[in-house]
Amino acid sequence: MSALLDILSLFLLAAGGFFCVIGALGLNRMPDLFTRMHATSVSDTLGVGFLVLGMALQTTDWTVLVRLVIIVIVLYVTGAVASHALARAALHDGEKPLLAQPDGTLRKTGCDEIYPELGVRLRTPLISEQVRASVPQEAPAANGEDAR
Amino acid sequence: MISGLMFPVAIVAVLAAMTLAVARALIGPTAFDRLLAVNSIGTFAIMLLALFGFLTGRPEFLDLGITYALLNMIGTLAVLKFFRYGALGYDHREGDNEGDG
Repeated sequence: MSALLDILSLFLLAAGGFFCVIGALGLNRMPDLFTRMHATSVSDTLGVGFLVLGMALQTTDWTVLVRLVIIVIVLYVTGAVASHALARAALHDGEKPLLAQPDGTLRKTGCDEIYPELGVRLRTPLISEQVRASVPQEAPAANGEDAR
Repeated sequence: MISGLMFPVAIVAVLAAMTLAVARALIGPTAFDRLLAVNSIGTFAIMLLALFGFLTGRPEFLDLGITYALLNMIGTLAVLKFFRYGALGYDHREGDNEGDG
């Protein structure tokens, strides 16, 4: 029984380390800020989850288990809040996604042929008014509500 | 034999991930990239603390991890607000009522 738990724990810890490295690699390889945030969310959720699960199988003390559960809950909640604040601050500061067009909508990515509703949703304005006003040639304001 | 091997493996993986995050924090073109990398480093540091506690058989390190997790978010929000307003208190001249940043 103990050896079985050890093997399972080894696999979980290895998977957690693997996902941590994958997230950090994506943090270095992705092209812009928002895709990098996507990459770090991998290590913040899957990496932490697998590592803590692997550690939880190795303890017999229930207080240690409670602390591990608290760590996971705190990391998941605060990670989401911090990512949201970071993306919102970056958008407000003028950081544009790679697919953004000057009028603040996302570029048409060929979704219309596959799933028309998704194409309309992708073209609704994403960037704040301040960013759109800072672009020199002002295209006519795209109104997402009319498109729907 | 296995139980002596698994924590060093995970620690080495987390250290490698932390090194890559430090590289992004150094070369990140914007402040938000660096902040994202620092947030990620904080998560890896929490995992490193917990794994080191399990490796040495002293799970008291988990308390430090909880503290660091709480401080990590507060620090990120504080730095974001500092970049947004130039100060940590609310600036009434800004007139911003969105409440972001």
